Amino acid sequence: MNLTTIQNYIFQKLDRPLFGAITLILTIGLINLISANHQDVSNSLSHTINIFIGIVFLFMICNSQTRNILVFAPWAYSLTLFLLIYVNLYGIESHGAQRWINLGIFNLQPSEILKITLPLMLAWFYQKCTFNINYKVHFVAGLLIFLPLYLVAIQPDLGTSLLILFGGLTVIFLAGLPTRFIIISFFGLLISSPFIWNTLLNYQKERILSLIDPLSDPYGAGYQSIQSIIAVGHGGIFGRGWLNGEQTSLQFLPETATDFVFSVFSEEFGFFGVLSVITIYVFIFYRCMWMATKMQDTFSRLLVAGLTISLFISLTVNIGMISGLLPVVGVPLPFFSYGGSSMVVSLTSIGIIMNLYSNKSLIAN
Amino acid sequence: MDKYYIKFILRNRLNFITYCFLIFFFLIILRFFYIQILQNTYYSTQALDNSIKVVPIKPARGLIFDRNNIILADNKLSYDLEIIPEQIENLSILITRLSDLIPIKTSDIDKYKRILKNKQYNNTVPIKTNLTNEELAKFVTNSYKFPNIELKETLKRFYPEGEVGVHYLGYINRISKKDLITLEKEGKKKNYIGTDHIGKAGVEFQYENELHGVSGYKHIEVNATGKPVRTIKNFPAREGENIHLTIDLKMQKIAEKEFKNRKGALIALDPSNGEILAYVSMPTYNPGFFVDGISHKNWNQLNKSPDKPLLDRVINGLYPPGSTLKPFVAVAGLENQLRLPPFKINDPGYFYISDDSRRFKDWKIGGHGEVDIVKAIAVSCDTFFYGLAIELGIPKLNKTLANFGFGMKTGVDLPNEKLGLIADAKWKKKKYRKNWYAGETAITGIGQGYTQVTPIQLALATSKIAYPNKSMVPHIKLNSQQLKQTANLTPPISISDKTIEWVKEGMENVTEDGGTAAFIGKTTSYKMAAKTGTAQVFGLKKGEVYEEEKLPDHLKDHALFIAYAPASKPEIAIAIIVENGGHGGSTAGPIAKKIFDYYLTSKNRK
Repeated sequence: MNLTTIQNYIFQKLDRPLFGAITLILTIGLINLISANHQDVSNSLSHTINIFIGIVFLFMICNSQTRNILVFAPWAYSLTLFLLIYVNLYGIESHGAQRWINLGIFNLQPSEILKITLPLMLAWFYQKCTFNINYKVHFVAGLLIFLPLYLVAIQPDLGTSLLILFGGLTVIFLAGLPTRFIIISFFGLLISSPFIWNTLLNYQKERILSLIDPLSDPYGAGYQSIQSIIAVGHGGIFGRGWLNGEQTSLQFLPETATDFVFSVFSEEFGFFGVLSVITIYVFIFYRCMWMATKMQDTFSRLLVAGLTISLFISLTVNIGMISGLLPVVGVPLPFFSYGGSSMVVSLTSIGIIMNLYSNKSLIAN
Repeated sequence: MDKYYIKFILRNRLNFITYCFLIFFFLIILRFFYIQILQNTYYSTQALDNSIKVVPIKPARGLIFDRNNIILADNKLSYDLEIIPEQIENLSILITRLSDLIPIKTSDIDKYKRILKNKQYNNTVPIKTNLTNEELAKFVTNSYKFPNIELKETLKRFYPEGEVGVHYLGYINRISKKDLITLEKEGKKKNYIGTDHIGKAGVEFQYENELHGVSGYKHIEVNATGKPVRTIKNFPAREGENIHLTIDLKMQKIAEKEFKNRKGALIALDPSNGEILAYVSMPTYNPGFFVDGISHKNWNQLNKSPDKPLLDRVINGLYPPGSTLKPFVAVAGLENQLRLPPFKINDPGYFYISDDSRRFKDWKIGGHGEVDIVKAIAVSCDTFFYGLAIELGIPKLNKTLANFGFGMKTGVDLPNEKLGLIADAKWKKKKYRKNWYAGETAITGIGQGYTQVTPIQLALATSKIAYPNKSMVPHIKLNSQQLKQTANLTPPISISDKTIEWVKEGMENVTEDGGTAAFIGKTTSYKMAAKTGTAQVFGLKKGEVYEEEKLPDHLKDHALFIAYAPASKPEIAIAIIVENGGHGGSTAGPIAKKIFDYYLTSKNRK
């Protein structure tokens, strides 16, 4: 094998427009993180390593046999369930929640893995029942969502569990859940919402309330939200310039490297920066959804759509949160936030999507 | 449902979701447009003029009292001038300007630099502490000239008794980088965000969690320079717990006074429950030195002094027990059916294992004549215990010693207790790669050789003779539930009543006519059971004679004394070591008497 064939082999299945857009986002994210970390280089260095590992995963998945992904689905799902149980028993506690498993060199966040394995499992399941999709099948799919959802919710990690719920429900929706049923359950949820409210923890209630009227308690629960909006608003049209965000450097902003990383970006690069980044994200989103429509079988279609929606629910919730449209929930911005699990999972998802797309005609046969 | 129907639905619904997302993206862009462009001026002034900052509130540290509610560790209000080092461009100019108003000494600047080295992120550093009223007034009227200097009201740890009882009380010091790492590992760092100090020794260290309390925080509005404008919301801190100690401060002071300038240790406890009444380690030092970070000079003085004032001799001082070990050796013998009265030996003043071995001398030239086990304790007959130890052998002897708690931690609620040592052949082989000699067994019987004990072990063992059927852990915190539980877990030692009776009789006879501390017994209104001891600090070479007058002070024998009283119903037990004090009875004995007089003569008690 000479160099060109190796190159061909590696890049053959890559979707170049998609990969290009992602590389661009990763680069911007890395540059932004240097500022968000108050110029502490060590975090940016490990972010680079996370990106590298993620890219390796992307290439590996992209070039593997699609059949393997299909066969792997139930096993991956069971493993995730096991990890979620494990994390609730022996996980590392931080900010009052048990979310991480200490693996020595890095901490693993099983709820992040779920963002791949749940759509994978659902797609596999619907593929199995592809000729006979009825209420029973939808019900079982609901159970498949509920099990890991419960395990994440008790960590407690309300934000992530809501994302998983939405991601999972969209897959069921795409698989053809009857419209009548959707309407009925919508009203069911509306009626039961007071009971759900009572099971929420105090800080979760405060966050939701602070969204409805952030100014009612500007210095309590709304603190993070307001500081973020000030940072964003401070950015103006062209931004304060890289490394020049006062809100960041004076440390008014919380969690600048993870959940509020985009506030830093907004303050330093302004509206045009935000517009550019969102345009790239929209391109990635649109490209992935377009790929989903091109798929020939239930499994691929549901999986590509499921993964894409999972990623972009995170994204919209995060950006909605930092601009004050949504309550403060601990959700990372894909391809942008500091965090190994999230980075590797996001890039792996893209790897799966590219793999399915490049093999779409193969599977159909 | 056929395949095409599914595909149709799917495509429709895919489009639906895509549109939903696109609409949401559009909303987000509108939102950013609104905040960043339309509202830009508003948010820019918000960012520059006033911002909200979270400021931690440190909890007031719990106070420490003695058993009679006398305060041992207090908090005193202090006014300090503090600065954020990052905001100061030229420190020396600032100090010169400030010096016109308030005298700034070089020691203040040294202190500032020391604290700066270990600073936590974002914290202010004091440049001048403990302002006098006059200085305070001067600064307040001129504060507008010093926008970067913050006047802070803080509670400072204050030890009203100064050097008294410093070893059990301990001290607090500024949080070091090392402490921060430990706190982070234990997940307590968040609670220490506003705290500058942490317990470093004694009770201040042991009960850090209780004393520290829970940090609070407040939201304050600050302007662009970071100066607070007003407080918006307050989440108050939870104060640390107040702690009562078992210590009787009056007794503690009497004990420390009685030591005069001599080095050594004393521990008095209630033998029925393990409450520590007095806890002396001499020499002492002033814990107040540490509160603001100890200066280099003071630290060197303390650390390098040959008298080792920082050493807590009660739990960390290792001493050869000398003859104070004899009552416990006697228990070992009697429990193994050896030397049961009326068994007697005739003491010629020396002992030898076999005809050709060296002679082991008794302290009394010419010997004690006819000696049974009771008399052997009373007159501290070496010859008797040489033979007993040889016949018993090390394993049986050590078993009894371990029963009394020698060679292991007593479990006292103070940090870094030492184990002490009861040696055997295996230990010697490992340590020196040499075999154990019979002669070493013999001298172990009189408390010489390798055996090392801490004063607290001696006091605990003495209490166990006073009350062999009670299980307890010596402790310094009054009414500690946790300690009561651990005490219940340690079973009392099982010794036959007869054995205890004989050993008690021997110890009671120590203060009777003919006993080694008879002169003390003559002056007390209660019956005291005791044992004297003299421990060699260095070995005499063959043929050398111990001549106290000729030896330099630091090579003189240690004086030891253990006792409990009243003999019929013990209320207090004591162990005393006076370093280089010579004979135990004559040096340490009178100290014990003073303590017992105070405690047992009712007019002194509260």
